Amino acid sequence: MEIKAGLEIHQQLDTHKLFCNCPSILRKDEPLFEVERKLNPVSGETGKIDVAAVYEKSKNEVFIYQVYDTNCLVELDEEPPHEINEEALHISLHIALLLNCKIFPVAQIMRKTVIDGSNTSGFQRSVLIGHDGFIETSSGKVGIETIALEEDAARIISAHGGVKTFRLDRLGIPLVEITTKPDLKSPEQVKEAALKIGEILRACKVKRGIGTIRQDLNISIPGSRRVEIKGFQEPRIMIKTIENEIARQKECIKNNECRNEVRRALDDGTTKFLRPLPGKARMYPETDLPLLKISKKQIDYARKTLPKLKSELKGYLKEYGLNDELIKLLLKENKIEEFKSLIKVIDNPNLVAKVLTLYPKEIAVKQDRPFDEVYEILEPVFESVLNEIDKTISENDVKGVLNKIVSGSSLKDALKKETINLEEEIDNLVKEKPGLSEGAYMGLIMAKFPGVSGKEASDILRRILK
Amino acid sequence: MKEKTLSPGDYVRLTTKEREWTGWILESYDPEVILLKLESGYNIGVKESEILNVKVLKKFKEEKKEGIKFRRDESLPNVAMIITGGTISSRLDPKTGGVIPTDAEEILKIAPKISEICNIVKIEKPFMKFSENMDFKDWKILAETCANLLNDEKIKGVIITHGTDFLHYSASALAFALGKLNKPIAFSYSQRSIDRGSTDAALNLLCAAKYAVSDIAEVAIIGHKDLNDKICLAMPATKTRKMHTSRRDAFKVINDTAIAEISESDFKILKEFNAVNSENVKVDAKFNEKIALIKIHPGQDPKILEFYAQQGYKGIVLELSGLGHVPGKGAKKNWLLIIKRLVKKGVVICGAAQTLYGKLDPMVYENGRELEKTGLIFLKDMLPETAFVKLSWVLGHKNWNVKEKMLENCAGELNSRLGFEF
Repeated sequence: MEIKAGLEIHQQLDTHKLFCNCPSILRKDEPLFEVERKLNPVSGETGKIDVAAVYEKSKNEVFIYQVYDTNCLVELDEEPPHEINEEALHISLHIALLLNCKIFPVAQIMRKTVIDGSNTSGFQRSVLIGHDGFIETSSGKVGIETIALEEDAARIISAHGGVKTFRLDRLGIPLVEITTKPDLKSPEQVKEAALKIGEILRACKVKRGIGTIRQDLNISIPGSRRVEIKGFQEPRIMIKTIENEIARQKECIKNNECRNEVRRALDDGTTKFLRPLPGKARMYPETDLPLLKISKKQIDYARKTLPKLKSELKGYLKEYGLNDELIKLLLKENKIEEFKSLIKVIDNPNLVAKVLTLYPKEIAVKQDRPFDEVYEILEPVFESVLNEIDKTISENDVKGVLNKIVSGSSLKDALKKETINLEEEIDNLVKEKPGLSEGAYMGLIMAKFPGVSGKEASDILRRILK
Repeated sequence: MKEKTLSPGDYVRLTTKEREWTGWILESYDPEVILLKLESGYNIGVKESEILNVKVLKKFKEEKKEGIKFRRDESLPNVAMIITGGTISSRLDPKTGGVIPTDAEEILKIAPKISEICNIVKIEKPFMKFSENMDFKDWKILAETCANLLNDEKIKGVIITHGTDFLHYSASALAFALGKLNKPIAFSYSQRSIDRGSTDAALNLLCAAKYAVSDIAEVAIIGHKDLNDKICLAMPATKTRKMHTSRRDAFKVINDTAIAEISESDFKILKEFNAVNSENVKVDAKFNEKIALIKIHPGQDPKILEFYAQQGYKGIVLELSGLGHVPGKGAKKNWLLIIKRLVKKGVVICGAAQTLYGKLDPMVYENGRELEKTGLIFLKDMLPETAFVKLSWVLGHKNWNVKEKMLENCAGELNSRLGFEF
């Protein structure tokens, strides 16, 4: 079946909010307070009220916004937007360049009318960054139409009886919107393109985890009209959803009831109607901000600092002589930047890789605590601990020191050489329980002195047993 | 210059060495940039120097605007509207990308529910200004326009849309110049322009309309009570001040309470008011323009007062510190002597509280008692801006006893019983 499809991918960037200085933190606790608002349909530049906007208004809803101490007046639509977040702009340039795009030297920050309540202002700010890029897929090049930088919407918490409740934590988080050309011709190619773009995004400073990337699909078959399917979380389900949509559109053609519409992707691979497809009238300029000008210097700097893709990174890490297992772990935990900076402290790639991945993992298991929590405790001390090697501690002590720090020791205490004299202790043990096998002694030693190096202990033991 | 032939609204194809762009020309305020609206709705800038070729595909033709006709319901009261400018009557100009004044229809589109409350029968536009550009003469024009409407028996009340910056000055000026009113005057405003879905004008206008048909014959500022689009306050003209640059509840009543709380479904009276009556309103809008408002700050040289006097200023409102103090004997620069000298020369010098909240009391500290001896008039709990307008109005009248008039409660500017609102 011939299809014409294009992807629209939204990815959150890992930085503070786009038009204010609030941190991009999602909250689970109780809000500080709530604010009640209404929205009105307004006419865009063309003077016409947008169809999609009127459709929403006809519902005459009340919106409740949950406000946190990580919000400010900007998200509440009580203060004009601040200048655009420079870091977000820089990251979006990385993404645009990795997707082979040309950069717009001048663009206007736009207000995209959204009156479903998900934006307190009644619009979403969005600006074009790049155009005319491409990616390669096994069935040919896929063009990238545009890259836009925009603000994420508020999270919906509940909706009943004409009252929608939103949480302001997500509102304003920088999003990059990637729109491919309608070059995708099969469900398999759609999936491949989505995965490819996903790999490029993950090489950049983007947020990870559920909800941080959202994929929409524009799709039509000959004789039908363009339909936008919103909200694929999982590329896995894509092919099934596309096949279902093809079937649905065929049915529409048969019944002569095709229309431009927005539909939501459901977990079972089907879709449901959301609203009519919005028109051009929904965009008008953000008059509170100047034109966005991107200089050659900014683009050159982005080019110079361009992150490496996973495939390139593998090669880079291999050069350090790391084994595949450690390379995989470093990539999985996304610790490349940390690796680069710690390798400058101590020229021991294997140890650095273990410190960043294996050791925290083992400590987490041992102490029965989440990895992220353990890592968060250790991250600030990595450099100091590695700096002590061959001064107060040996390479073999590192894991033990980290373990103590996670248990609550201060860095200073953790670095204190164990007062135990291993040689003396092992000697005592052998005297207390004579006649055991080497393996049995090792078992006893490791149980009594967790954190000591097994190699060191076994060397001493062998010496004593001789 | 090929681009000179382009006018905003033209549908064109621009060729640069990178590619072709098709879209509508927008007016650009950057001379080196051609602004183009793409089919997608996004606006981009193309550097003029990079354009190789331009083709106009379709010249711009002004589309006739569909006017919205508001039904007139004979059973509803009639209200007049005065549009003066400001954010509430500004909207985006697609040609320039800036914000421009708009017309009444546009404003009413925002609050269509007004047509269930009253008929807007008359719309006056005496001038269109951002309020920071207004002055004494505009107050006079506003007062006269207002009086004509109030004395029209077919009209129940007046709504004035106004910029926020100097709104509390205009409201005070009307309160003094029109004296005892016969009908309601509702000042309405917005802090978010009406071309956005979240405009606060919708609720403000609706509540202003409800106030305009009420029995309260007072000048009030009608605006958001808090951050919710739920309740507006009718705030007394002479006791209200803009206290925030951007929030929708920017206006706060100071040293007083609101007159009423108004929502879509409710109208709650909060205090005594002057009731609607059948008398005619008389305009007394003589304002003296030689009035200054000076805030006292540490280390300030009192010679500044002499400068004003030399420039012909007749009245000065000083924003005093604390309960009513100026740098005195213990300061390097003593204000007391100069104030005394100028008062003697005939310059009227009044004092209002820098703290805005609370009342002056010169008797508590020696500094205050010394200041009182200079002949400075302590304006009790009157807001500095209200004092400025009032002094201008009082000194606009040659034969009035200035001190007596300044201390007479003419339009609710003095409150003898301060409550707990703060």
